[in-house]
Amino acid sequence: MNTDKAFRLSLFFFTISSFIIVASIVVSLIATSYPIFMRDGLSFIIRGAWNPVREDYGILPALLGTLITSAIAIAIALPLSISLAVFSSELIPGKFKIIMNNISDLMASLPSVIYGLWGLFVLAPILHQFVMMPLHTHLGFIPLFSTRPVPTNLFTAGVLLAIMIVPFASSVIREAYSAIPYYLKEAAYSLGMNRWEVIRMMLGYIKSAIFAGTFLALGRAMGETVAVAMVVGNIMRFPKSLFDMGYTISSLIASQFPNAEVYEFMVPALYGGAFMLFIMGLAINLIGFSMMRRMVVHR
Amino acid sequence: MEICDLNVWYGGNHVLKNINLKIPKNVIFAIMGPSGCGKSTLLRAMNRLLELNPTAKVSGQVMVDGINIYSDKIDVTWVRRQFGMVFQIPNPFPHLSIYDNVAIGPKLNGLTKSKSELDQLVRWALEKAYLWDEVKDDLRRPAAALSGGQQQRLCIARAIALKPRIILMDEPTANLDPVAAMKIEELMLELKEDYTIVIVTHNPQQAARVSDYVAFLYLGELVEVGETSQVFTRPINKLTEKYVVGRIG
Repeated sequence: MNTDKAFRLSLFFFTISSFIIVASIVVSLIATSYPIFMRDGLSFIIRGAWNPVREDYGILPALLGTLITSAIAIAIALPLSISLAVFSSELIPGKFKIIMNNISDLMASLPSVIYGLWGLFVLAPILHQFVMMPLHTHLGFIPLFSTRPVPTNLFTAGVLLAIMIVPFASSVIREAYSAIPYYLKEAAYSLGMNRWEVIRMMLGYIKSAIFAGTFLALGRAMGETVAVAMVVGNIMRFPKSLFDMGYTISSLIASQFPNAEVYEFMVPALYGGAFMLFIMGLAINLIGFSMMRRMVVHR
Repeated sequence: MEICDLNVWYGGNHVLKNINLKIPKNVIFAIMGPSGCGKSTLLRAMNRLLELNPTAKVSGQVMVDGINIYSDKIDVTWVRRQFGMVFQIPNPFPHLSIYDNVAIGPKLNGLTKSKSELDQLVRWALEKAYLWDEVKDDLRRPAAALSGGQQQRLCIARAIALKPRIILMDEPTANLDPVAAMKIEELMLELKEDYTIVIVTHNPQQAARVSDYVAFLYLGELVEVGETSQVFTRPINKLTEKYVVGRIG
């Protein structure tokens, strides 16, 4: 009786404290960024500037950088993770499946600084030489590829992010795919579908999981910091193309915090960026949830 | 349809032994027997759905209108389209609409040339399956919104929209309430006019109610085959007699 009560009390305590922590984070985000929004208003988020000496801050280029790198990451990661999930649940025999899934889980748990190092010293030069330069040389008239690339830029960051989020998205999709009831596959085969037609049908059946995996991955891509900071270029200017160097909100915070307290408005400006990132994350989650709910109703 | 010397193994397990069967046209042919006797396996050997199980091995012949469906020259997806299949658990594709569930087979097959032709075929199949009146107001509703009995009739509509030669039913009423089950049985008697129906059931009463011919399968062996009235009133084999009166099963 007494232990039961103590147990419930401690559960209550821990539950409450996690709520308090989240609330206090939101409060400090708002409270600390308040001065910059009071001083600059909207111009803080619709302008590009980062001049601490003049206390001039505008984070729109970094917001765009976050959106661009995340969009590149999702565009690459989604087809990859769907293929990986289908491949591991349909096409390879049991023993290799376990090995492959373990490798995928290992990839998900690698510290992101390792991805950053690898991205900087291996991925960036390869992308530069074999992807970005050829695209720029031959298709440079397309605005997306118009900037003469250096190895570290938004595109490299996007590709690296894609590699980092594939294991997450694919494990969500894989779980859903392997949970498809056998009788549905039988139904599909009994209609004379071939293997590809069955796979397409089954992907349609789990499309809400594909959305869920995508949004989970998108959330991670937007928040990823260290690896991106290492390959994105870290310059505050409006990106003219995918091959331009830039910032993301996370990489901006990571690279600017060390001497932020020297300046009066830099800490509020960094908090302001963090607050915007929080809002974007929240929006992504809300959109994701409402999409999923709509789909669940459809079932 | 004729089955000659059919044997099936799962790994080292000999689950169907020397099955020989002749199934006449436009009848309901019931395969009955206790669970685990191999009746679902026999049904899946008829449309080669058994091949989804990588451990299954088949020998023998299944002839449909004079074609051996196990011949090397025959495409397995073609074989499956000659049969409409209805399963134990109603399994419409829950994320597709009622319409798309019925239309998917003919679309894959290229059975229809135009949208209006497809619309007609869908309507025809739903009418045949006694479902049209209940769903005609909104064919765009997802299949998952239907009741279990309606879902099973939708599956029957999906099966007959393929314009199959034979309909295979694997305990189609096992997961339905008695009223829904009765509807399915009435529907089967109606469909018999146009199709040959092979139904698997573990319920001898159902076999007695609906079938013209019945085969009794026990531990992978065909114990007795004959006209339903004869098998149920004057069974030749002692085992069959025990089964139909409910002493084994």
